[in-house]
Amino acid sequence: MKKIIIFGYNNLSYEAVSRLDQKYQDIVIIETDPALIQSAKDKGYNTKNIDFRCDVALKSLGIGKSIDVIFCFLLEDFNNIFLTLSARAIDKNINIIAIAGSAQSAEKLIAAGANKIIDPYQICGQKIHELIKKPDITNIIDHTVFGRDDLHIAEIIIPTGSSLENTYSSTLSLNEQFNLVLIGIVDKELGDKLHFAIGEKDHKLDAGDILVVLGPSREINAFKQEVTNA
Amino acid sequence: MLAKPLVYFAYLLKTSPYYQKSKRFFYNLLENPQSKMKSYFDISMICLVMLSVFFLVYSVEHKLNEIGEFFEQFVVVVFIVEYLLRAWLFSDSHLIIISEYERAEYLNIPFSVIKTLKKILEKKLEYIFSLIAIIDLLAILPSYRPLRIMRILLIFRLFKLFRYSNSIKVFADVLSNKRFELLTLAIFMGFLVFISTIAIYLFENPSSGGNVRHLYDAFYWSIVTISTVGYGDITPLTFGGRLVTIALILSGLGVLSFFTSIIVSAFNEKMYTLRENRTYAELSRLDNFIIICGFGRVGQEIAANLTKDQQAFIVIDTDENNIKLAKKNNYIYIQDDASQNTILTNAGINSGASSVLCVTGNDVINVYITLTSRFLNPDINIIARANRADNVNKLYQAGANNVIQPFEVSGLLAAEHVGQPVAFEAILGILQEQKQILMETLIVYPNSLLENKLIGDIDFKHRKLTLVGVISANKIHLKRRNRYKVKNQHFYFNPENHFELLAQDMVIVLGRKYSIEHFQDQIEKSKLRPVK
Repeated sequence: MKKIIIFGYNNLSYEAVSRLDQKYQDIVIIETDPALIQSAKDKGYNTKNIDFRCDVALKSLGIGKSIDVIFCFLLEDFNNIFLTLSARAIDKNINIIAIAGSAQSAEKLIAAGANKIIDPYQICGQKIHELIKKPDITNIIDHTVFGRDDLHIAEIIIPTGSSLENTYSSTLSLNEQFNLVLIGIVDKELGDKLHFAIGEKDHKLDAGDILVVLGPSREINAFKQEVTNA
Repeated sequence: MLAKPLVYFAYLLKTSPYYQKSKRFFYNLLENPQSKMKSYFDISMICLVMLSVFFLVYSVEHKLNEIGEFFEQFVVVVFIVEYLLRAWLFSDSHLIIISEYERAEYLNIPFSVIKTLKKILEKKLEYIFSLIAIIDLLAILPSYRPLRIMRILLIFRLFKLFRYSNSIKVFADVLSNKRFELLTLAIFMGFLVFISTIAIYLFENPSSGGNVRHLYDAFYWSIVTISTVGYGDITPLTFGGRLVTIALILSGLGVLSFFTSIIVSAFNEKMYTLRENRTYAELSRLDNFIIICGFGRVGQEIAANLTKDQQAFIVIDTDENNIKLAKKNNYIYIQDDASQNTILTNAGINSGASSVLCVTGNDVINVYITLTSRFLNPDINIIARANRADNVNKLYQAGANNVIQPFEVSGLLAAEHVGQPVAFEAILGILQEQKQILMETLIVYPNSLLENKLIGDIDFKHRKLTLVGVISANKIHLKRRNRYKVKNQHFYFNPENHFELLAQDMVIVLGRKYSIEHFQDQIEKSKLRPVK
């Protein structure tokens, strides 16, 4: 179970929380505005009102001990930078995901120790550009990745003792057996890099390797069962 | 008696595609400011005029050889043809005949040939007496041998140059804007010159010991002095004359600076419209461009990406700082409110634009621009940005084809990054086309190698491609499984081996850029092959 803290309650955090599977994650939202706290509470989220500028308060949340991930979704870039810097100072290994309002802030956030920067404006711009250039593909991705239909991209880790161990990726034929399309493989023998499954290389599958597949959730679950049950 | 064939002939011209086509061609060549042909024509005419003037100047002191004579003849023929063509283009005589005839028919009065011809003649005379046509005509005359005296009209050949460039029109426009000020100044100057002419003549006439012999000299001296040129060929000698000179020089300075300031301010005021006109002229030459309304962070990101693709676009924004940025990047821009009909029309929403992007930071404005754009052009592709989820439906209602929520996409990516980091990398990789791996559509053209082929018979593996699905609007496929509705067509995920591809279907594959391009080339080539 991952412990996650989200700083700031706004459109972005709302979207992120609703996408995170709350069964498997423990999520706390930090907000100071009473109205926003109330609206988050109404949605059934766990909220706390603390001052992120205070290291003691951050530690009291569990940063440095139990917290795995923090989202810095505060509206001002300088606040996010300050928060990232404070959290990184407390915990060297925490996973920090921050939003950046401009390219310069992104660099500063990286310097402050953030693991992943998300620039909403840049992503929006890129998506609109995609929509103009390749409307069909973008619509498909919208329906799959962005989950408007029952098509999802999922990653499946091959457990030890799975029937897939010591088989080859070319023999998987997921499209016939499970109605899934194999998008990529992380072959641990070759490092943590994702290899797209475009028939360039035949990967030997071992425990710990990750398969990225695209398909309806029922089929994904069926495949997960098959992989783990063996 | 003459009426019948005349009317018949007029109708014949009206319905003749050949006549219409040739008239359009010459219109594009000579008059249409937006045609490329006109600019080439203008440039070659400028060269021709310059050369002919050179020959004429040369012939003042030398005798032209045969080539020179021939060239002069050629130039005159070109000028005459041009003059006649312009006269022809100026009005549509056959339409005048037809409208007169139809009017007569309607009112049940006899059709008068004389009256009609008079009308046609009036129209053509209007052309003949227009300033620019007179200049054209005068430019032809200098080479008429018996009228060698008319060499002076050579000047008009140079005036003709103005016809082929826009600058004189712009200058005239600027001046006409300041008519009132210039008139005031001219009247003031007229009085000044008049008074000083009389005064200097009184003080400086030869009988008073000066050297202003008559009123013309006095007038000439006044102009030379008031303009602060002061040649000094006529100088005042008497005390009174010098007083007049001092007064005239001082007021001359005033007049001159007043005149300069009028011209400068006129240009300043006109600068904005001049620039805008240039923008529109630039736009009118483009085709299939994109209108970006709002040049904030999102707009800038889109512009940068479009520049990479060499896709033409225009930026509209009201904000000074945003426009400065657009200027710095050499983008075509309009600094104005994109929700106004005129601005969008001028930006080419109905003439060449393929998409409108409403990406300001304000949802209210985005809705307004979307609505305006949809009203102006029912078929254009509109993509809008919604900052709040509640406004998505409003944007669709206003007529947007697609709505993007920056925060939704980012929130989702953030969640995905935590939950499924590898899948996240895959999505990002495909979205941003990292490592040259991309998802692409292969269109099934009629008669191409993909048409009527079964999915199982296409060797995707051998081509190093992964099949994802097929997009089709064809109703035949509707009974198949894994169907997802996307807009007005369906996406068939992971189609079975016996799925038959039909013309206009789109196959979606994942693969490296080379493999996809190679396959696309083969498909393109195969559709050109004759059907066996």
